[in-house]
Amino acid sequence: MTTTVHHDAWETTMSKTTQSGKPAVDRRSFFKALGAGATLAATPAMVTPAAAVDPGKEETKARYRESAHVKEFYRSNRY
Amino acid sequence: MARMKFLCDADRCIECNACVTACKNENDVPWGINRRRVVTINDGKPGERSISMACMHCTDAPCAAVCPVDCFYTTADAVVLHSKDLCIGCGYCFYACPFGAPQYPKVGNFGSRGKMDKCTFCAGGPEVDLSPAEFQKYGSNRLAEGKLPLCAEMCSTKSLLAGDGEIIAQIYKERVVKRGYGSGAWGWQTAYKETIAI
Repeated sequence: MTTTVHHDAWETTMSKTTQSGKPAVDRRSFFKALGAGATLAATPAMVTPAAAVDPGKEETKARYRESAHVKEFYRSNRY
Repeated sequence: MARMKFLCDADRCIECNACVTACKNENDVPWGINRRRVVTINDGKPGERSISMACMHCTDAPCAAVCPVDCFYTTADAVVLHSKDLCIGCGYCFYACPFGAPQYPKVGNFGSRGKMDKCTFCAGGPEVDLSPAEFQKYGSNRLAEGKLPLCAEMCSTKSLLAGDGEIIAQIYKERVVKRGYGSGAWGWQTAYKETIAI
């Protein structure tokens, strides 16, 4: 038994021919063209610098201070 | 410069889990995550010991060493913090940490872990101190308020110590000198008899 599969979208794309009678996008170069387009689209993203954490002085400053509250904690823990 | 440290006096810990509850409540910790846990060995047997564990804020933190996006940083007072904006939830830090501190909220299906969450020594994160954004991501910032982590502050038996490493080490030494340690401690032989060593 023979099964016939209709690729409507494929046929639509490939049926567009140039003046010389060849398809606008050759069947064998279809994915190559697709890949080239994707590469061009991704290029600006790759140029963007990496965003590793770079904490400034404000983020890394010491927040601990020996306040009255903290001194009371130390005092009550001595026994 | 003071270096922030936790120290759990295992002779005093009674496994009440108040530190765990206090931490979850104070920092609004996501469901399924315990930044602090009480580990018990020889449970129900003579010589049972409990110890409260969380991130130990290592000097040379292995979590920071393996992080592929370098989202960890150490503050001037030696608290290891991380940026949830950069974390990709890869899980490397979970495998590197010897204390099981980094945990994940499991926000979705298909193995996605979500942003890593861990103890911050109640010191918030990279956001502006005491801002709503900081609280939403990392919990409270008690150090900026001039306080210490709530887990240690509300320990009923004063087992869990937190603060300047030199001061809490001195407090612990004073305790040991006064009460002894292990089988030399006051009440040890009443509780465990002479046959049980440390």
